[in-house]
Amino acid sequence: MTRRVLLSAGILTAAGALVFILGAPRGAAQGSPQQTGSADTVFEAPEISDTAALEGPRQPIFFRHDVHAGQYEIDCQYCHVNVEISPKPGIPTLSSCMNCHLIVGSGIAEVDSVRAYFNEGRAVEWVEVHVLSQFVHFPHHLHVNAEQDFDVVCEDCHGQVNRMPQIYQFAPLKMGWCLDCHKEKAVETGKPVSTDCSVCHY
Amino acid sequence: MSDGMNRRRFLKVLGVTGGGATALTGCSTDRVEKLIPYLVPPENEIPGLATYYASTCRECPAGCGLHVRVREGRAVKVEGNPSNPINQGRLCARGQASLQGLYNPDRVRSPMARVPGGGFEPISWDAALTRVAEQLATMPGDQVWFVTGKEAGAFDSLVSDWLAAIGSSNRIVHEPFAYEALRQANRTVFGVDSIPHYDFAAARHLVSFGADFLETWLSPVEQSLGFSSGHSYQSGEMGRYVHIEPRMSMTAMSADEWIAPVPGTEGLLALAMAHVIVRDQPAGVPADASRISSLLAEHTPAAVSARTGVAADVIERLAREFTQHASLAVAGGIGAQHAAADSTAAAVNLLNYVAGNLGRTVTFHTAQSPAGQGSYSGTVELVEAMRSGRVGALFIHGANPVHTSPTGLGLTPALANVGLKVSFARFYDETAMEADLVLPDHDPLEQWNDFEPRPGVHALQQPVMRPVFDTRQTGDVLLSVARQLGERVTRTLAANDYKEYVVGRWQALQRRLGDSRPFEAFWSESLQRGGIWVDEPTRQARLAATAGSVRGEVWSAPAGDQLTLIAYPSPAFFDGRGANRPWLQELPDPVTKVTWSSWIEINPATARRLGIAEGEFIEVTSEHGSVTVPAYLYPGIREDTVAIPIGQGHAAFGRYAENRGANVYHLLAANATGFGAVEHYVGVTLRNTKDHERIAKTEGNSRQMGRGIAQATTLQALANPEEHQEEHGDHAAPVPDHIEEIIDEWQEDQYHEWMQRGNYAREDLPRWAMAVDLSKCTGCSACVTACYAENNIPTVGPDLIRRGREMSWIRIERYFEDGAHGEIESRFLPMICQHCTNAPCEPVCPVFAAYHTPDGLNAQVYNRCVGTRYCSNNCPYKVRYFNWFDHQNEADAAYAWPDPLHWLLNPDVTVRVKGVMEKCTFCVQRIRDKQHQAKLSGDLLVDGDVVPACQQTCPADAIVFGDINDPDSRISQHARDSRGYHVLDGLNTRPAVTYLKKVRNIAEGEA
Repeated sequence: MTRRVLLSAGILTAAGALVFILGAPRGAAQGSPQQTGSADTVFEAPEISDTAALEGPRQPIFFRHDVHAGQYEIDCQYCHVNVEISPKPGIPTLSSCMNCHLIVGSGIAEVDSVRAYFNEGRAVEWVEVHVLSQFVHFPHHLHVNAEQDFDVVCEDCHGQVNRMPQIYQFAPLKMGWCLDCHKEKAVETGKPVSTDCSVCHY
Repeated sequence: MSDGMNRRRFLKVLGVTGGGATALTGCSTDRVEKLIPYLVPPENEIPGLATYYASTCRECPAGCGLHVRVREGRAVKVEGNPSNPINQGRLCARGQASLQGLYNPDRVRSPMARVPGGGFEPISWDAALTRVAEQLATMPGDQVWFVTGKEAGAFDSLVSDWLAAIGSSNRIVHEPFAYEALRQANRTVFGVDSIPHYDFAAARHLVSFGADFLETWLSPVEQSLGFSSGHSYQSGEMGRYVHIEPRMSMTAMSADEWIAPVPGTEGLLALAMAHVIVRDQPAGVPADASRISSLLAEHTPAAVSARTGVAADVIERLAREFTQHASLAVAGGIGAQHAAADSTAAAVNLLNYVAGNLGRTVTFHTAQSPAGQGSYSGTVELVEAMRSGRVGALFIHGANPVHTSPTGLGLTPALANVGLKVSFARFYDETAMEADLVLPDHDPLEQWNDFEPRPGVHALQQPVMRPVFDTRQTGDVLLSVARQLGERVTRTLAANDYKEYVVGRWQALQRRLGDSRPFEAFWSESLQRGGIWVDEPTRQARLAATAGSVRGEVWSAPAGDQLTLIAYPSPAFFDGRGANRPWLQELPDPVTKVTWSSWIEINPATARRLGIAEGEFIEVTSEHGSVTVPAYLYPGIREDTVAIPIGQGHAAFGRYAENRGANVYHLLAANATGFGAVEHYVGVTLRNTKDHERIAKTEGNSRQMGRGIAQATTLQALANPEEHQEEHGDHAAPVPDHIEEIIDEWQEDQYHEWMQRGNYAREDLPRWAMAVDLSKCTGCSACVTACYAENNIPTVGPDLIRRGREMSWIRIERYFEDGAHGEIESRFLPMICQHCTNAPCEPVCPVFAAYHTPDGLNAQVYNRCVGTRYCSNNCPYKVRYFNWFDHQNEADAAYAWPDPLHWLLNPDVTVRVKGVMEKCTFCVQRIRDKQHQAKLSGDLLVDGDVVPACQQTCPADAIVFGDINDPDSRISQHARDSRGYHVLDGLNTRPAVTYLKKVRNIAEGEA
């Protein structure tokens, strides 16, 4: 555990240092292939002065996916570790934030806030954005693992998270929307995609 | 269906004209939910996936192994540990309900101290421990007394060590059913103060003299499994089981023959059977059996027949049958709870001996069996000591003697003479209410411990989650007090904490077993397995010198108009310790189907004679006291006998137990019997108070009225089908051709619809189906409680049950049939959703909430359901249950899961709201989970992968589940069985549930 923390932190610090030296983030740390944008245009997360204008609910910490997943191209599953093996994606534990922020990010108010939460042993109460009713079961692990067979990626449901300064609900998450995709994928791939009720409702 | 109006079109029209009726699906995003992540991820835990911990069930002294399913740090389900030799993966209803002990809202949440003038106030652990230590320091060691329940393991030895360290030897074990009579009989006949291991699986001929071995006696789950494999019908053969008892218990309902002798004379029957065996000398009788022939001489079948009311030729026949096959006779339960019960048990010992069963189906271990410990005479001794002021401090753990001792003993007034009364109770039971300090122990699922149910089975308990409340393990409390008492005491108690004490014992165990691995390896492997099981040497039991002193003593029946009252342990509550679990209160008693109450069983003829109708409150009076209970008319009890279950009538013990039914201990004699037990037989008179209540029971009609719901046959009929009249269900009327055409067309339609919807995991469609072998089902109802636990079924309470609004997805139907000779026969049938191929509920649902899945499930989509209840009206099996109230809403009076009971909700199953229909889903969440896992790993599901909760727990292995489209699966084989039938077959519902007829092995000469 400890070794993994230090190693990851080390890589991230190195990446961070590179950014400072070259003035442009390349962030090859986790080598994420599916990020959008062509290879020669590099995304730089904008500075935001008016957070009130952003879409989505305000969170206790202004965590920016556009910085982490966009500018630094950190893989989704670096933080959402369980998404491939569990029906629940898992909200990252604060200790995984500290993997990097033990070292990087000093001086940034929000990073100080994360450290304070961690050091004081307080839990961050994130506001849930993608709310599913309790009578529906959405197995994340099946969908994430369906990329090869059905070309399903995180962005299909969550949108361009790596361009979102603040997370908002991108897709309607209504049943009809689920079914549209299930039907389309069946036609596109010629493989069976279930549209049976009891697959999700029980 | 192409033209005209189909259901969807109908809905659309309704939506336009009715306005707003279509806002059924979709997700509301109004509510704000919080996501609270861990600071640091706990080891071995992945949100959304379950972790299993091995532990040991402590709901009764049987000590079954557990696998506890933990989700996000909370135990959500307990199941049997398959590797444990006691229960082999199965669990009874009480074991299933152990979660409701852990999360019981009436638990003692922190240490409490009595306030002068009544009531308790919280006290800190430090202050409480200091108070105990200071008071102990002021009194001589022999003034300290300690009462425990049955313990066999680290805690047992810690209490003894602790008492010894402070200079006391006053250890009392209060266990209401400590098998005193059986132990006394074993001393007399074999010179062994121990309880043997009975091999029910090897016994092809079984005779029980009152032992309720499928309910509470010794180790019910192990015995159910053994009985199921030894007795049930398998490939043309089965065992035979005769039950001898004045009352037909749940156990007796599985018997091939029930014999009801005069109460308390069972021992004479055993002696007469032994007489016949020694007289006829069939093969296998031990040579030294002649030593007891003189004592058997007077017990001829003719003489015994006159005293027991059982015909002499029946006794002769029983004796003959007993030596024809590997046999076993057991005595216990209510047959061994009267003043002469040691004589009964001794007679049965002799019977086993002369039949050559010792060392075959009855085996004594060389080591003392931990089963059966203490006796009621210890409690009597304690009361005398308290009265005479010899008790300065009394510690009580794991026992509730105030509730489970006869009132005449005067335990409660005697407690006033004790200076310091410390209770370690987890709940405010009757005994804790008398205490000065209540220092709540951890729940068994929160603690470190070990337990040895029988020699060679060393079972471990480990905490499966963090403690729910501010409780502390009693072992740790005792060690803390010892430390405060100083070096004098800690010299012999070196352990820093209780876990260290347990580990110390396991290091010694490892040395004793000659295991040379590092201890860490031994320990972690034992923890993962749930303990360690080794073969212990057995010994050959021989007749002791005292065996000749056995006399055919009987219980002296009351004279005059008095009836014999039998107080028997409740299958759900045991001695009453399960009464605060709502699942067990709501569980219909297997015999009477009564819930949430107690009752007195009266034969209908006796009731007619006394002018008593069902539900009338009867004042039952013995010379020791009186109680008032409603009458239940039961044909399975002798006319001169009545019976009341033990377990209810709590004056304290939390909201679910308090003031329900009557405590039968008020009626029992306070004097211990000669062998040191409470006598559970007493003479009573009945007076009808004319008050009346409608009993909250789930029984509709106890007769089948020719519907052929629970069918049975005999072994003899199966062997010669042409000679015997087969029993049939209702006769299917021929289906007219034009109807057949319509059905075929509809099925075709449906098939295409399925194909369009696409399949789930496999190329060929599975068809989920179930089979229930009624020759194995004992009616124990463990499946019912397992279903409550797995599927978040709310408990509704007695008032709603009276109105037929219980939510139990599984009903154990119990029917009576008249036998060929006027005797009563009973049958059990677990009734669940039949998942019909032509389900009558589906076409009548206006919103498509009830529909058929491609894999053959009759599914209920909760979010579609609008509560018309048409489906339930159209269901011939009546297995659909409607949420009349908001059982999931904290603000509703019907709220079923008061804090922290809701922690046990299964996160994989939707909690239903008011206005929604629900029913058995074949545990669809388990099917989907296994399909998901198979899909991720790229494997196909194999037969036996999917196990619904009812099948998983069934102690009789009566339920089989699987894919019936796979011709090699177990379920396919069962469905093709010649005993298989479908309930209400004539309706052409084509159920997915196949029942296999119950089989009786009738005696020779019976028809």
